[in-house]
Amino acid sequence: MVLSQKLHEAFKGAVERVTGPRTVSAFKEKGVLSVSEFILAGDNLVSKCPTWSWESGEPSKRKSYLPPGKQYLITRNVPCLRRAASIEEEYEAAGGEVLLEDEDNDGWLATHGNPKETKSSDEENLPSMENLEISKKNKTIQSISSYFGAGEEEEDIPDMEEYEEPDNLIETDAATLQSNYLVAQEPDDDNILRTRTYDVSITYDQYFQTPRVWLTGYDESRMLLQPELVLEDVSQDHARKTVTIEDHPHLSGKHASVHPCRHSAVMKKIIDVLMSRGVEPEVDKYLFLFLKFQSLIEMKCGNVQQWLLMCLLSLL
Amino acid sequence: MAEESSSPSVLLQFAPFQSAVDDGFWRRLSSLKLDTLGIDQSPIPITGFYAPCSNPQVSNYLTLLAESLPPEAGKEASVRGTLSLGNRNRCPVPGILYNTNTLESYRAIDKRSLLKAEAKKIWEEINSGKAEEDSAVLSRFLLISFADLKKWSFHYWFAFPALVLDPPATLVNLQPATQCFTLAEAESLSAACNKWRSSSLTADVPFFLVSIASDSNVAIRPLRDWAVCQGDGQKLLFGFYDPCNLPNNPGWPLRNFLALICARWNMEKVCFLCYREKHGFADLGLSLVGEALISVPQGRKDPQYVPNAVGWELNIEKKMVSRRISLAQSMDPTRLAISAA
Repeated sequence: MVLSQKLHEAFKGAVERVTGPRTVSAFKEKGVLSVSEFILAGDNLVSKCPTWSWESGEPSKRKSYLPPGKQYLITRNVPCLRRAASIEEEYEAAGGEVLLEDEDNDGWLATHGNPKETKSSDEENLPSMENLEISKKNKTIQSISSYFGAGEEEEDIPDMEEYEEPDNLIETDAATLQSNYLVAQEPDDDNILRTRTYDVSITYDQYFQTPRVWLTGYDESRMLLQPELVLEDVSQDHARKTVTIEDHPHLSGKHASVHPCRHSAVMKKIIDVLMSRGVEPEVDKYLFLFLKFQSLIEMKCGNVQQWLLMCLLSLL
Repeated sequence: MAEESSSPSVLLQFAPFQSAVDDGFWRRLSSLKLDTLGIDQSPIPITGFYAPCSNPQVSNYLTLLAESLPPEAGKEASVRGTLSLGNRNRCPVPGILYNTNTLESYRAIDKRSLLKAEAKKIWEEINSGKAEEDSAVLSRFLLISFADLKKWSFHYWFAFPALVLDPPATLVNLQPATQCFTLAEAESLSAACNKWRSSSLTADVPFFLVSIASDSNVAIRPLRDWAVCQGDGQKLLFGFYDPCNLPNNPGWPLRNFLALICARWNMEKVCFLCYREKHGFADLGLSLVGEALISVPQGRKDPQYVPNAVGWELNIEKKMVSRRISLAQSMDPTRLAISAA
């Protein structure tokens, strides 16, 4: 961990101990969430997208201001079929547009080009993060053999001689499917790609008073990925800047997380835009908006206009 | 697919269950070993979790989490018990962990006998009727491990015992569920499944009966209602939460379910529903409906009879080998100190 990051964590921890969690709503004014609003928004997410569920996490890490059974939200086993790096190449090739990060440039909302024809999984009405893959329009799939081939040197890969089976365990059973069941299949593509999967969790960040997204990656055989490898799946503009690797507040170990320092500002902007268009944002929809904005960071989902349109749709 | 499955002599093949272990599980096992168990090698009851496949691109796993291990004495027992109850994304499956103290004893484990013993439990629970009351026992699993706490490395191997039907089941037909129902039936079936999956009483019950009345009305019932569903002219399907995503194969849990259907209800032609979801709701395009022929196993008359069992998990290269995970990077205090410096 970088020193500045550590100092910041210490500072944050001290402030959190002194100030206590937010209880007054400032959702429309500041884009932040109080604890009860977080629970409300979480309940709504769980009921609309039941692949999400509340969990309690490690008892020792339990936050007293949240109910024991509603410490954080998680959805498991979300496939990510391609590395973000290859999505980005396609994106650039397609004449990609400005990212949300360029939001200081006030024109970012005003442009209203036609949404691309990309058949994106985000077009579905609920941002359930069922699939971290964004676009399938292009069939060039970047092989990840470089990662996979390097596995031999990795410590996690066992020494073969260590595993010689003394009793020569062989099961012959015709009813056991022997084909390559472990690989993902892309329905409209002959290419078969081994799949990384993610557990995506949302915690409440007391200091920033916003939700915070965490990514726990698994490799093709469902072995935990080093958090550094998760960065391969994150838009390169964001890797190591907005996405940091830190201790998870409710789980053990280090996980990749989208740093929440700008969340409330971005959410505030979204809320302002909605209100200027006559849509009254409801706090229980907060996490839907939030996930749209997160998926933009994580996977660089095409263009901003299309995304905003979807935000609007999900509120209507 | 239609051509292939319409041939009556096709063997019904099942996609094996796959395991996933959260590192929280190994951490809790380490502290349990150090603080409570010591050198005690008694088997430990554990709980695995699974859910129906929820994405056409990946199968779901049988997952072990920190909560899979028994709670530390006196702590959290009540909270934990109520939490996992009815969580639709965490259907509990009973398992057993044999953790050894040395690598030698890990290697010396008689895997065949252990698998056989678990299969016998399943067979007994089928025949005693217990499996109809608590259907999760049909997917019982087995985990053997050696936790090398000095090196923060864990050797382990899963088995998902499946009773082998002899002769094996053959497939008459297997199709996406959308093609097997009228529109009204399909709508009613989706609604009934979603209701079953959203009630905390049934959300984590992985095996069930689907009865379709002549007026297209679908009801989902627990296995114990089998007798009630007989003889009223309703179409009956045997449904289960299918962790598998493949379009041409049902997942592993169907194996022991077929054994139950054969042993308890003496059926020869079985219609089954591989229940799968999308975004957490019933997806009949992904779900499969199949028709299989099963016959009473040879030797069934013998009261001592226990079917053969298979189920040791293969690795990603399809080899019968033990797995190992090293958590030194995140657990070894020396390494943590170095990386923190």
